[in-house]
Amino acid sequence: MKKRISESLVVEHGTICCASCAHALGPAGASWKKAAALSTVPVKDLPGTGSNVEPRVVLRRFACPNCGHLLDTETALPEDPFLEDVVSV
Amino acid sequence: MCWSISNTWPAGNDRDWTMDPITFSIIRHRLFRVIEEAVITLKHVSGSAVTNEGHDLMVSLYQADGSLLMGGVGFLHHLTSAAEACKAIIRKFAGQIADGDMFLLNDPYTAALHTSDIYVVAPIHHGGRLVAWSACFVHVTDIGAMNPGGFAPEAQDIFTEGFSSPGIKLIDRGELRQDLWDTILNMVRSPEMVALDLRSMIACNNVARERMLALINKYGTDVVDDACRTLISQSEARLRERLRELPDGRWQSRQYLEVKGEIYKVLLTMTKQADTLAFDFTGSSPQSKYSVNCSKWASLGGLFAPLFPLLCYDIVWNEGAIRPITMIAPDGSIVNCTRPAPVSVATVGAIQSVNNAACSTIGKMLAASEKYADEATAVWHANHFAIFMFGNNQRGRLAIGILTETFAGAGGARTFGDGLDIGGEIPNPISRMANVETIEAQFPIRYLFRRRLIDSGGAGKFRGGAGGELAIVAHDAPDGGIHYVLSGKGPRFPQSDGLCGGYPGAVNDYVWVHAPHQAHNTDRFAQGLREIPGDDEPISWGVFPLMGDDALYVRWNGGGGIGDPLDRAPEKVKADLAAGVISRQAAGEIYGVLETAGSVDEKATAAKRKQLRRARLAAGSPQ
Repeated sequence: MKKRISESLVVEHGTICCASCAHALGPAGASWKKAAALSTVPVKDLPGTGSNVEPRVVLRRFACPNCGHLLDTETALPEDPFLEDVVSV
Repeated sequence: MCWSISNTWPAGNDRDWTMDPITFSIIRHRLFRVIEEAVITLKHVSGSAVTNEGHDLMVSLYQADGSLLMGGVGFLHHLTSAAEACKAIIRKFAGQIADGDMFLLNDPYTAALHTSDIYVVAPIHHGGRLVAWSACFVHVTDIGAMNPGGFAPEAQDIFTEGFSSPGIKLIDRGELRQDLWDTILNMVRSPEMVALDLRSMIACNNVARERMLALINKYGTDVVDDACRTLISQSEARLRERLRELPDGRWQSRQYLEVKGEIYKVLLTMTKQADTLAFDFTGSSPQSKYSVNCSKWASLGGLFAPLFPLLCYDIVWNEGAIRPITMIAPDGSIVNCTRPAPVSVATVGAIQSVNNAACSTIGKMLAASEKYADEATAVWHANHFAIFMFGNNQRGRLAIGILTETFAGAGGARTFGDGLDIGGEIPNPISRMANVETIEAQFPIRYLFRRRLIDSGGAGKFRGGAGGELAIVAHDAPDGGIHYVLSGKGPRFPQSDGLCGGYPGAVNDYVWVHAPHQAHNTDRFAQGLREIPGDDEPISWGVFPLMGDDALYVRWNGGGGIGDPLDRAPEKVKADLAAGVISRQAAGEIYGVLETAGSVDEKATAAKRKQLRRARLAAGSPQ
């Protein structure tokens, strides 16, 4: 039985999966981000950027490594760890 | 998101119901109306745009012990802080609280958010017994801080942030204490406007007190007391029930602030377990030497500001809704600073970061629920800019006031739709901006333009609402212009976080355009930053002139988006392009939508989206 844990992720048979293609990303109740495809883009390079944006800040984009669907994003300085969201299922 | 009252009879509560439900409902609605009428009174008496237009205000009712009885609208950070103000007054004036008294409190280390948000609290007595409190605040025109308007980016400690009281009796048994009144007004700029601010709160409390007494006279003390206790137990039961329906888990959010090259973090870990919710700010930065800090009461208010509308949209906002919530805020951190750290910019600094972080984690929790996913939201307008203008106006009088566009906001995206363009903000359900003409009538300035800002709403399947941009120049100024205090702590980091793959809203920006020497050649009708002649200087923190033909350009952030932008319906992207809300660059590079001859090219769009997804895969895993 599938159980939603975000708009883009579900848990099925004790495994966190991409909601789009059901690709497995890791065990439920644990962090899944390290199993995702991570691409970063400097915020200063995004459309609509300001004149004074911190050059080091990036948008981390975590995508499903199978279908490329975007699962989550976070704004971060390079030295900061991933934000961890863990849903108990 | 709507602020409404459920007509559902309390569930999950095991007390014996002795009151008939109709009487209970009448009293509950009447309490709301008491607040509504008090807010109207406050606005009628106040003469400032920040109160009347921006709705930087709050009115609520409290129980005899100071705990929240009925939270009102306005800035919701104040609901819990004003409770602390009532409790501080109860402690400080034990045995000296009489019918007809009113007390003033604005010390941030006692209860207030910053010195310029003054609380005036009034005990309500019936038959000689203290039965309730009315409390309200407005951001007064000035508080005597080193910078006009109350926000003091140049302050180094609380002592330079103006008059600060942990509690004084302003009205004694119905009589204004003239000596205190004169003393307060002697410490502030624009005393006539501050007097109006204070009188608006006195009038507001008078109306609240009269209406509460009319309610008690009609139904009797015991019945009203019983209804109030029931309301509180009902709110607690209903919020706990809602929390039990939501998944257990732990969610994180991180907000960055920057002041003069120093970067600060607010890190939040929110843990939901059974029917409790804990907010832990461990890992946040140490307190700053700049005035972006906030006290622990301010942080508590800051996290409740999004919690009330997002989790209690159909639950009365009172003490019962507070009981399931706990907070950890490390001493000496930017979210629980130690006196005498400066805090005058707190409301747009650390408090707003607490707001944003709580909005983000609550949004994630809601998005994890089948039942409540439609209540989830990305972060709304996350960055106030607090520009206070001051100087002699076209009538030769000192004018001090805020650019109310900071209250215009931008909606975060929802799981079922886009955020509202210039759509307000989560912590204040009634915030708005003044008309251009209102500001131009008050200050010697002219707007060159004010409109939605392109590419400001965070991209997503559902995009964040657009923010805005404006430019002003001096106009008809007897001194050649005016000055302004800018407390813009966030032009370097996006703060309106996206959700579930959505992008954040764009950043704020402040640009001082230095006019060329040939002032007569200046384009007085420029319609964009690039059209304003002169040299651009990004600014964010301090006091600046707006003189001669110089211009001030300001843009404010959009809301965060939700979901993968490549899932956005191409026709919606096309509509955004046509409306000027997104650029062609964003349509192609972020949304992967391409047009041919004014129509969506479906084949090219599909190929572009495939290419963008492949590029994500090529980036690889961080493992």
